[in-house]
Amino acid sequence: MKKTAYVMVMGMMLSFLYACANTNSIARVHPEEVKGLPRCAECHTDQWTALSHQAQDFYLKHKIYAAQQRDACNTCHKESFCVRCHAHKEEIKPSDKYKDRPELSLPHRGDYLSRHRVEGRINPASCLKCHGRQNNERCKTCHR
Amino acid sequence: MKIKEKITTPAPPGALKAVGSILLACALVICGQQAADATAINGNSETILRMREGVFDDHLFPLYEYLNLSASDSAGPGAISLEIGGWGRVDLGDRSFERRTEGDIQYGFLSYRANRGNFTANAGRQWVVEGVATERIDGLYLRTDLLAGFTAAAFVGNPAVTEPDIEGGDLIYGGRLAHSMSKYYSVGLSALRTQVSGEGIREEEGVDLWLHPVAMVDITGRSTYNSLTRGWMEHAYTASVTPTDALRLSASLQNVHYQDYFYQVTTNTLSLTNGIILPGEEMWNVGGSVGFNATKNIGLSAEYNRYEYDLAGDADYYGVTGNFSTGTGLAAGLSFHRMDGSTARLRYNQYRAWATQKFGPADLTLDFFDVDFDSSISGRENTFSLAAAAGYDFSPNLRVAADVDYIRSADFDNELRGLIRLSYAFGIGKEGK
Repeated sequence: MKKTAYVMVMGMMLSFLYACANTNSIARVHPEEVKGLPRCAECHTDQWTALSHQAQDFYLKHKIYAAQQRDACNTCHKESFCVRCHAHKEEIKPSDKYKDRPELSLPHRGDYLSRHRVEGRINPASCLKCHGRQNNERCKTCHR
Repeated sequence: MKIKEKITTPAPPGALKAVGSILLACALVICGQQAADATAINGNSETILRMREGVFDDHLFPLYEYLNLSASDSAGPGAISLEIGGWGRVDLGDRSFERRTEGDIQYGFLSYRANRGNFTANAGRQWVVEGVATERIDGLYLRTDLLAGFTAAAFVGNPAVTEPDIEGGDLIYGGRLAHSMSKYYSVGLSALRTQVSGEGIREEEGVDLWLHPVAMVDITGRSTYNSLTRGWMEHAYTASVTPTDALRLSASLQNVHYQDYFYQVTTNTLSLTNGIILPGEEMWNVGGSVGFNATKNIGLSAEYNRYEYDLAGDADYYGVTGNFSTGTGLAAGLSFHRMDGSTARLRYNQYRAWATQKFGPADLTLDFFDVDFDSSISGRENTFSLAAAAGYDFSPNLRVAADVDYIRSADFDNELRGLIRLSYAFGIGKEGK
């Protein structure tokens, strides 16, 4: 009973705070079609200049942008784009699937199966972004 | 440290759970409001045939179908959409994996996004990215703007894990509360908990930030704390300075405590008991990079990373990359990187050269990737892959691409792989891709 009342009060408070927010939602679809790797500063002078995909550190930083403001990503990218790399269960490496897109920062280029025992030792924490809770199938092939 | 319980019973099939959660979501939405005519229906299909030889000289011809569908209606005070994506595989030749046929629902959820307050409600199989949480769940996700620059997000569901060796949990929930001034900063506090039969197996809290004090400075980062091991899992921060449009300087810092970071994984490969991931290990990674756009068509960058470990040896990784393109449909890139580790295996040069040229609706790509070790790895010092790909756009929506990949690795003398991909996009209405 106490719990229910607590949840109801919290819900009402959040509804009130939401009603008072009075902000416009980010556009669902980017008003202009963007092709290739966008350089956001070409049009933007606001905070979105940070999202320039051509920056050499964008690949490193995009996880934070997505974790804070995924709606901004969604203006150009649908879920189908994200799962190309961030898959639940995948049998084809992105760099194998899209050999015709060499400009993209796709992980595990070349023969990574042989190389991962060397490179994986450098920063195994980076493996956990894609493996360890999902995409365990490939690991189990050899690591029993 | 708790001893992780080994799974003794098979987990329920993820696809069934996903379908169940989608159906539940559909029912909730249908009960909640009248059905609407979709104003946009989009989809894309990728049919892929791979051709390669297996380890035991078996001939593998797996045929894949990747299908993504999206239907949305934005006529009301918000937009409601249904997003579904998955794949299936059948082996036309010898068995490529354990089963001759396989498939997966990667995501499938109903989404409502209000026109005001960035209110979002998703129900179904989805990928939740909120602060410390980067999780695929079968469940519910809510996010909204609140008063005075605050935002809140919450999620609850069943963690979608695949082929677990170690229990992945039967319930996951968490949330994030943040404050933002859109031009200057966004700072969030977030937490998640995963449990099995009421007992917590993951409890993580963290802070994430994005700072933009002046136009040329951009700082992102995250610190994550493990409540169960009572230790910091990770600190990862990157700062960028862009003094001119053409020049960008970046510095990054990452610190990982293995015992806290790898505490609850679902595969033996990355578990703390496998002898590969050493529980007492701590890693520091300090690095930096410089990016310079000499012209609109020429980009150069140089990077340096220093890795330091408590138990294993240290390593330096540094290199340069150059990209250029022309107005005639040619794009190319070159890169050289050096890994200088304390063990023989971690001393190598890495080279890459690629070029792609468009010829109207056709394009041709060459990609060479070479790793030259200082000493032999399984009897081989030099490994490389050389890929040639060709594509043809029959229309803006229909593309065929094929590639051949020749590999000489530590495991294979002369490996030849092929792939053919037919991509087809269809639909009505303008949506993202």
